[in-house]
Amino acid sequence: MADTHQQWLEQRAAESRAKQEAFMNDIASKLRRPRVMEKPAHPFRGAPDFWKAYEWPLEERVERFSSNFKSAGGHVERLADMESAKRFIAAKAEELGAHYVIRQNQPELNELGLEAALPNAEVSVWNSDFEQYWKARAAEADFGIVVADYAVAYTGSVTVLSSKDKGRSVSLLPTVLFVIIPLERLKTRLGEVLVGFDEAGREQLPAGIHFISGPSRSADIENDLTIGVHGPGVVYALIVGS
Amino acid sequence: MSTTSTGVPSTVKKRADLALNDEFLRKAVKFTTERLRNGKINAAEEHGNWEEWRERGRQIRLHTIAHLDYYLNLFADNARANGVHVHFASTSAEAVKLSLEIAQRKQAKSVVKSKSMVTEELHLNHELEGIGVEAIETDLGEYIIQLAGETPSHIIIPAIHKNRYQIADLLSKEAGETLEPDTSILAGFVRKKLREKFLEADIGMTGCNFAIAETGSMVLFENEGNARMVTTVPKTQITLMGMERIIPSWSDLEVMATLLPRSATGQKLTVYMSGITGPRREVDADGPDEMHIIIVDNGRSLQLGDSEFQELLNCIRCGACLNACPVYRHIGGHAYGGTYSGPIGAVLTPALQKNIAEWDDIANASSLCGACYEACPVKIPLHEMLIYLRRRKQEGGHGDAVESAGMKGFAAVLGDAKRFRGILRLGKLGQKLVVRNGEIRTKFGPLKGWNSYRVTPSLPKRSFREQWGTLEEELRHGLREMDPAMQNRMEAIARERKNGTGGGHGHHG
Repeated sequence: MADTHQQWLEQRAAESRAKQEAFMNDIASKLRRPRVMEKPAHPFRGAPDFWKAYEWPLEERVERFSSNFKSAGGHVERLADMESAKRFIAAKAEELGAHYVIRQNQPELNELGLEAALPNAEVSVWNSDFEQYWKARAAEADFGIVVADYAVAYTGSVTVLSSKDKGRSVSLLPTVLFVIIPLERLKTRLGEVLVGFDEAGREQLPAGIHFISGPSRSADIENDLTIGVHGPGVVYALIVGS
Repeated sequence: MSTTSTGVPSTVKKRADLALNDEFLRKAVKFTTERLRNGKINAAEEHGNWEEWRERGRQIRLHTIAHLDYYLNLFADNARANGVHVHFASTSAEAVKLSLEIAQRKQAKSVVKSKSMVTEELHLNHELEGIGVEAIETDLGEYIIQLAGETPSHIIIPAIHKNRYQIADLLSKEAGETLEPDTSILAGFVRKKLREKFLEADIGMTGCNFAIAETGSMVLFENEGNARMVTTVPKTQITLMGMERIIPSWSDLEVMATLLPRSATGQKLTVYMSGITGPRREVDADGPDEMHIIIVDNGRSLQLGDSEFQELLNCIRCGACLNACPVYRHIGGHAYGGTYSGPIGAVLTPALQKNIAEWDDIANASSLCGACYEACPVKIPLHEMLIYLRRRKQEGGHGDAVESAGMKGFAAVLGDAKRFRGILRLGKLGQKLVVRNGEIRTKFGPLKGWNSYRVTPSLPKRSFREQWGTLEEELRHGLREMDPAMQNRMEAIARERKNGTGGGHGHHG
């Protein structure tokens, strides 16, 4: 019997490797052929060929993104620059009476000077202090503010990647979410973003990759649409740039 | 008809009787499935080239399953390299044992769960409760039916059979105060209540929609955000995945992400699609410290190498076949008596049980109309599998009992012109519904099709005459109940034809 959790994990790992061999051999024998050890040719990888080159011009991407995001219950604003984004967020904070704001520790947001623009709110910066219990800070926040890594017009989605400075909780736990989308990050197809993860390879991937396509929703009570059942109930996509 | 309410009846027919006697369930199931089905049709048409995407999805699934040893092995190696503790479970008992051991090792008091059909398969909640660990379902619908002490009746909308008043009663009990039967009030209560549970829980437990072999990542599709909660907040994450959930790459995920939400709910993408690659990095301030993935066989590998059933493993669990099925739309999910309901459940449940022939009459709970195949985003020929299943039952010597469920009786009866006329007479006699608009031919069209698709016709041991009294009762009931669903389906097809969009999602009839 293992004494420590670490020992227990190691025992399980050894069992797992043995079992893995047996599992794979069993699969091969049920498929009535030898084990496949070399990467098989995969002629149908990814989207159909006609789709792989599909692309909308920029303005159409903005329009399609907006219309998809809105029909999922989100809000979209087209803003000329980051200064306008700051003013927009500040006005919303004023209007809704936001007291607690949490933002990612991203360079675009560091430069924004949100703290000065939101005199009535306490603005915390994700993971800027190792002593803090950050999940709780995000859970109590009225506003969460993030900059998207990508956005996809075809499905009306924003993509956020986790890191030391970019908490998964910031786009999840606050009541209202603001996602700033730099215009040049807005793609046409989901595949444009997904293929990038294949190209980057396993070791480059963050722990969390999240596609967000509107406010949290549920239709579990009599099919009646409910917004904000676990995640943010109000989501603003701010498309910035011209 | 008997309407005993205690215990779980043993046959589909009896369970269906229960379902059919519940007016609300019938309406709710119909409402939801219509809505989901129409959503799917719209989404598929809007997307365009649906057939090409479907074919692509099928090819990717076929390729992956045909090389499952390679891809599953690759996934396990990569997930381990990401820092995940990977486990393999041949049986449900092994998967349960592993899960409980982890919970005990972590001295867990509570586990928050997001929707997972595999854990339903394992009855894991019950097992966790058995060792004193509270298991909390966090998907709104799952939470509701957990409070009610029930099981899901639809793969996508598990509490489809409950109305808001019943839900308000359940939640009021939990809240210790009376909650109005208002959707936003009820959902608001659950949000607050479950927030506490997420923050307190020691373990987050999830299923897995897809596992990406080349990077060892797991992918979850959801609308509420509870799966994100479960994989972000607790310190330990346990993911249970069926061994066939694999796809090779993120590029392939584009195809699955195109097919799954459109087929399930008609959305272009679920609100959240999350790809999780290992536990939190050392510098991260959220995400689990420790992550386990338990890869579960539990009967799945039995389909490998079986030319008739291997394609079952292509299933992406979207529920489109449930919504398309006239029988499901009528009797609801609980009548199937297994974890998986509808056409996929009718095949998957016995297939996972090793001995197909021993499973009861679930394969007969289908009209073999092929709507499930047409709806399936990866083109699994479920209607054909149902026939194979019936044939195997026959071959296994399980086909000669007089089927009180009546489905087979129906078929046998309809195999003879005189008897067919007899039913027509019955219909004329008792059921105005059946002869509405004087269009008997149209109404019986599907029944004729059903009959012509049958193989190995088997006459009941007792003669038709001897059975007449029982049959009369069953047929009278059966025909009356069957008719509105058929009519809906016909109307839907007619509507599509009128819109000139028949080919958009695969209808070719």
